[in-house]
This record gives sequence, C-alpha cells and structure tokens, in this order.
Amino acid sequence: MSSALAPASGRGTKLAAVRRRGSALAVAFAVAAFALAGCGGSGGTFHIVAGSEQKTFEPIVQQFCSDQGVTCTIDYKGSLDIGLMLSEQNAPDIDAVWPASSLWLDMYDAHRRVKDLKSIATTPVILGVRMSKARELGWVGKTVRMEDILAAVSAGKLTFLMTSATQSNSGASAYLAMLASAFGQPDRLDPRALDDANAREKVKALLKGVVRSSGSSGWLKDLYLAGAKAGRPYDGMWNYEAVLKETNDALKGQGGELLYAIYPADGATYADAPLGYVEHGQDKSTHDFFDKLQAHMLSADVQAQIAQSGRRTAPGMARPAPAEPEWNFNPSKVVTSIALPEPKVIGRALLLYQEVLRRPSLTAICLDFSGSMQGEGEKQVQAAMGTLFDPQAASRSLIQWTPNDRIMLLPFDASVRDVAQGDGTSPSQARLLQWVGTQHADGGTDMYACAERALTEMKPYLDSGQYLAAVVIMTDGRSDAHDGFADAWRREGHDVPIFGVTFGDADKSQLDELADLTRARVFDGRDNLTEAFRSVRGYN
Amino acid sequence: MTISRRAALGLGALGASAAVTAGAVLFRRSPAMRGVLGDVTALKGYAGGEKMAFIENPKTVKALKHFGLALTADRAGSVDQVRDPQLLGTGPQFLWPSSSSLVELARRHVKVLRDQVIFNSPIVIYSWTPFAEGLVRAGMAKKENAHYFIDAKQIIDAVIAHRPWKDLGQPDLYGTVRLIATDPNKSNSGFMFAGLVANLLSGDVATMANLETILPQLVELFRGMGYKPDSSGKVFDDYIAGGPGADPLVVGYENQLVEWILQDPDRWARVEAAGGPAKPVALYPRPTVYSAHPFLSLVPDALRLSDALMSAELQTIGWRDHGFRGPLGSIGADTSDLVKGRMPAQIASVAPMPDIEVMLKILDALA
Repeated sequence: MSSALAPASGRGTKLAAVRRRGSALAVAFAVAAFALAGCGGSGGTFHIVAGSEQKTFEPIVQQFCSDQGVTCTIDYKGSLDIGLMLSEQNAPDIDAVWPASSLWLDMYDAHRRVKDLKSIATTPVILGVRMSKARELGWVGKTVRMEDILAAVSAGKLTFLMTSATQSNSGASAYLAMLASAFGQPDRLDPRALDDANAREKVKALLKGVVRSSGSSGWLKDLYLAGAKAGRPYDGMWNYEAVLKETNDALKGQGGELLYAIYPADGATYADAPLGYVEHGQDKSTHDFFDKLQAHMLSADVQAQIAQSGRRTAPGMARPAPAEPEWNFNPSKVVTSIALPEPKVIGRALLLYQEVLRRPSLTAICLDFSGSMQGEGEKQVQAAMGTLFDPQAASRSLIQWTPNDRIMLLPFDASVRDVAQGDGTSPSQARLLQWVGTQHADGGTDMYACAERALTEMKPYLDSGQYLAAVVIMTDGRSDAHDGFADAWRREGHDVPIFGVTFGDADKSQLDELADLTRARVFDGRDNLTEAFRSVRGYN
Repeated sequence: MTISRRAALGLGALGASAAVTAGAVLFRRSPAMRGVLGDVTALKGYAGGEKMAFIENPKTVKALKHFGLALTADRAGSVDQVRDPQLLGTGPQFLWPSSSSLVELARRHVKVLRDQVIFNSPIVIYSWTPFAEGLVRAGMAKKENAHYFIDAKQIIDAVIAHRPWKDLGQPDLYGTVRLIATDPNKSNSGFMFAGLVANLLSGDVATMANLETILPQLVELFRGMGYKPDSSGKVFDDYIAGGPGADPLVVGYENQLVEWILQDPDRWARVEAAGGPAKPVALYPRPTVYSAHPFLSLVPDALRLSDALMSAELQTIGWRDHGFRGPLGSIGADTSDLVKGRMPAQIASVAPMPDIEVMLKILDALA
C-alpha cells in the first residue's frame, strides 16, 4: 500500500489544486498546512523488498522510518523472486527494492519500474574455508585461484555450501566466476564460455563440491553456524565477504573454528546492494520519502556503520572495517571484479546451471493425505504439484527438473501409502503428477514414518554421492511423537535435510524440530502452498 | 571574462530566438516578469543522465523560475532519446542529448526548431591514483601540472591485446587491462568513445572507406567490456561505488568527477585524507573528443528554455556546481578551491567525430 502515504500526499494534491486556482491566500494556507504536517510521509506506510543480506541494516532503516513517522515494512526475498516480482505485467505494490545486486534488475526489470538506483555498499563473493581445512590445503597466506579450488574439489578434499545460482545472488556470483575462470579468461565472462565443452566440464566438477544449497545467502550463514554448533562443521562456504565476517563474528561468540577468507586471485563478482524506487503511480510524498531514506543510507554516519559491518563503501564515505589478518579478511584489499556479459547472456548462463551443470537433486516429497486434507487441502496439494511438475511453469521460476534429477513422491496418512519414483524428464513428471492425482485424503497422520521411509528409499542414491538430497514434508496436522527418529536420522549418516511445508493448522513445532535436527527450514504454505514448494526447490 | 563572453553568446542566441519566434514572443511579457508573476511555463523532455544533477539543482530550478520556466526531464540515454520511437512517441518538448553528432540523427525523426550547444565536456577516462601512476611509469601517461594525459591509442591497444595489468605498472593486480563505457547504442559517452576509438584505429578520422578494416577490433573492444550500462551517470556511479577493483578504468565526462566533488565537499575532504588506493582521478586521453550538450527545442516554448539555459546565470550554475565548460569549451572563472586547477584550461588535442553515417554503421556493428 504505497499510496498509503496518504495523509501527506493528499495534502500535496490539494496544494497543487489551489495553486492552479491561483489564489495567493489559499496557497499561503496550504503551505502553512504542509509545513505543519512536517513534510511528506508523516503517518504513511512504505514497503521495501530486500535481499536477506540487508537484514543487518533493518534497525537503521526502521529507526529512520520511525523518526519520520512512517511505518516501514521490509520483506526479505531471494534475488530471483525480487526480479520475477518486477517482471510481472502488473506492478508490485511495493515502494522500494534493495536486492543484493543490480544484476537481477538488469535481467528482470523489463518495464523499467525501478528508478533512482544507488548502490549503498558493495561486497565481493568469495570462498570461506574452515581454518584447519585451509591449512591442510596449504592455502593460508597463499594466492589461490579457481583452478586450485577445482583441484581440491576433484581430489575430494573440499566441499562447500553455496546458494542456488538461479535463486540467489551469492550463488549466481560464485557460479559466474567459476564459468569465467573455466573458460580461461577469469576476469571477464566471455559469452562463448557457455558453449565451451571444456569450461562446462570444469564448472560441473566444481559444483560437485556443493554439499548443501539454499535460496538465501543469509540462511546459508545460519546453516554454516548450525553445522559448527552441532559439531559437524562444513568445509567452507561461498558467500559475501561481509557475510563471512558476520559468520566469523558469530563463530567467535560460539567458540567455533573460523572461516579463512579465500579471495580467488582470478577475480570475484561484486554485489552492489542498490536501493531503488519502484514506480507505480504513487504520490510525490512517497517518492520524497524514498529520496530521504536513500540519502540517509548514504549519509556519512550510516555509511560508517555499514562499513563497520565489513561492507565496502564508496571512497570518502567511511573508513573501512579494519582488516582481520587471522582469517585473511581485508575489505580494503583491491579485488579484481569479473566483467559480466549482457543480462540475456547471464540469463542463459543461469539456465545452463539449472539444466546442465548443477549437482543433480534427489528429492523425496512426503505429502500428507490424512483425512483433514479433504476438500480444499487436497485440491491445493494437487495444484502445487501441478506447478512443480509442469516443466514450463517450473522454468519460469528456474526450478525446473532435469533428466538427471531423482524424484520420489510419498503420499502418507498414518503410514506411507506407496512410493512413486521418477526422474526429471517430461514424461516421468507427467506420470508422477497423474499418480498423485489419484490420491484422496483419508486416515491419520504420521510424518515420521514417511521421513523414515524416504530415507530408506533414497539410500542407494545417497550412497552414490552424486546427488544433492532433500526430504520435503508437507503436512497439515500433528503426528504422534516418534522418539526414535532423531537417532535413525543420525545413523543414516548422509546428513539429509528434512524441510517442512506447513498447511492448514499444522503443528509447526514438529516440523521445526525436524528442521533443527537436520539443519533445514520450514516454509509456510498456509497462504500459498504452490509458492512454498517453489521456495523449497531452491534448496537442493 | 569567460562568463561575460557566454552571456554575450546567450544574448546572441536570444536575439536569434526572437527572430525565429518573433510573432509569438513580441507581445508577451518579459521572461523575468513572467517568473515574478508566477506565470510558469512547464516543459518536459529528455536529458542525458549526466545533466540530471544540474537540472535538479535547486539553484537551477530557481533561476529558471525567474525566466518563468520549469524544466522536467526524464533521464534517457542520448542515442535513445533522439531515435527511440517509444521515447519520441511520448511527445517530448525538448531533447537534451550530449553530442552534436546526434542532432542530425534527431532531425531524421523529429522536427527540431533549434539546436543550441549549452555546455561542453571532453570525454575522459576515470581511474584511480595508483593506476594513473602506474600508467605514467609504464610510459602510457604523462603528468603535467596536476593533470594526467594518457596516450589514447596505447591504452586502447593494451585493452584490445588483453595485456596484463602488470605490464601497466600494476604488479599486484590480477587479470588484464579493461575499461568500460556505456552502451554506444544508447548513451552518448559510449557513442563518442566508439567514435574516438574508430579514429584511433583508422589513424585518422574514420570514414566509410576505412571502416571495414577497423570494425572487427572495435567490436572486440566493446565486446570485451561485457555488460554496458545505458547511461553515463550509471557508469560513473558504479565506478565510484565499485572502487578500483570493480572499475579500474571507465569512460565518462570530465565534469562528472568535478560535480561529484562539489556535491559533498566533506566527502572529498575524507577522500583526500584517506591513505588507501581509493582516490578517483580523471585521465585526459590524447586525443579526445568533445561532448557538446546541444539543447533541441521541439516546440516554440522550448526556445525560451534554450535561451534561459544560455543566460549567464544558468551558465554559471553549470560551471560552478557541475563543472560544465561553456559552449566554446573554455572553463569558467571563480572556481571553488576544491576543484581549482583540476581541469586543464584548454584541451589541446581534440579529434572530430566521424560523420553520422559512419557512426550509424559503427552502432549497427556494436548492437
């Protein structure tokens, strides 16, 4: 509700009207009224959609909004989601976007709705490697190139976390850097790299290093920390230089081993955190408020706070955070950026990632068909599956399956009814969809039984080590307690994340427990089940 | 002295305008009176991004109001605004691109009542102090007084040949020399840079006759840049925001850095005080090309705006706050201490742009 800066904007409109009538008195009155109102924005609302990595700065934004008497709401979305929202025929009802990188606006803002973009800070995407692992690889204090990283991955000595290149900017940045380097011109991504068989093979080999993925860079940090806390730290993580600092700050707090910053010598892709106004006919006061907010974010005081977080600010804006040599962090270090190609080439590169180069996924989906799902519930599940297994619809969100992916569907009530398996070919997806269409709600609820069965069914594929695995449980109810599951999961040993999708009046606590145990997360499907399934697809 | 010469020019233009629109203007009140009485004519059109700060400057707004004028401009790339049917279809009352070469192109699509060069600004290459010093050491640039002059041909050759930074005095910087300009098909600084490079590769002003032989190299140079933004303002903002690692060399207008310095003197004081590599600097290519900023009046009312922009008052704002040289390319008086001596008084080596037919052919090749 952007035009909800209504009180002030109404005044503005009135002001314009009286001016047209040309009455000096009326003008004077209106000017006085305007001045009394304390200028544009007072009492309205302002809606921002931002990348997860900007969450750090929410207190700064909210403080400013509250000082201005404006209620600001900030929703956090992945880069692709922000892009898709802008590409819709109808303008989204938001006033500003603050994605990780202008890359996604260049690709998706076809209607040119975003105006007055200014970068608030920058940060390169680099690789953090657990200190002992970095030492083992001989990388401490050394120049490391992408080919060294490839060699380590190929030798089975290194794995890492990385967000999905099609859903999130840090993953896309890491992937594009890999592609540029694989083609032999690391400091620029030549469009010819996309069609080069040798480059493709190298990137595919590099992406084999991905042990866990996600649709959000902020969440990836949480995942790393959860792993460290559970005593099973991951080897490393591709993320923003600044997010690695946040991770290490937290690791220092929890007594974990720090991540050593590897700035690949070939170059890195920068995120430029652009804050832009989304034009859809709001009142002038809304735009005025945006201008003030942007100026505030670029003011010396705020820039100093932003720089302290480890982000890089423009010259003269603020003093960079001090280097922390113990883990090789240095935000003053000149890191060569990779010149990226035209947005349409990047779009093609992302498609290549999703359809050819990423690690294939192994996904088991447990669908609650208990009695309470009758009617609307059943209908919504079928609709969500309809999108998930419609290659065209899935492609729009860049979550399409490929023939190499393995898919399992497990409808359950008090027990697992049956298991259907398939791959990502179109006929196979159509079969899965048709099969799920024959299921009707009835009976009790035991999601644990389904999770256990899923792990059993997945075992041969897990053992092959080829796949990025996930179990997704959609449920609307409460299962009987199942004490043995945690042990069974641990015994299984493949660290398979169990994601939850809530529906109806699901008891979220049980899904949360599973997600905590397996370092996964729970998606809220109550408003939009299709959307929740779409999000979870960004995680493996 | 310069200002007064500009004022004279402005008056001359005013006279010409009066002759053109004699019937319309004769019985109207004087421009200044119109402003005082609140009778403001609002004009809407397109301007290149590099002029937006001037247009939005409260001093500009106030000065134009004295003339009874209010200027609203949407940012649009110079090339786009003179030929994009979608933009022209919105019925702009004026266009304000950044190159004289584009006037002729505009005339093919719209009826131009008058074109008047308001400002001038040479094309420069922005870099960072350590890189500039490295280029001096590598023999590609010279420092004369406070100004860096760079051998345009040598730097272009280095970029095309993908020479490593270490050859250019930057042993610590990985990768090969690269620079970025705007998309020549959309924005003027890229457009003019393409013209300049075509000249350099031809060894003279590029013509249809020698174009074929140099096009492959020109295409390679622009392809190597990767994604090129569509506005000079955006390229400059990215350069500043990205720093030396992200944007080692970018093509822009001379006035952009000056304007940035003047916008926030405290910020500049901090830049000067900082010890790190992050100090922006302009390199003047030898030769360079001059970007004129012709104002194209498409409706009779716009002629008044054109005249007002030529007035001493507006010209002074353009120079003092934004670093635009006057219509003849000379710098103004009364420079702020912050930017005193930052711009060479005269740009000695200026190449003419190839003619528009050649440029159109180049644009097609770079599309």
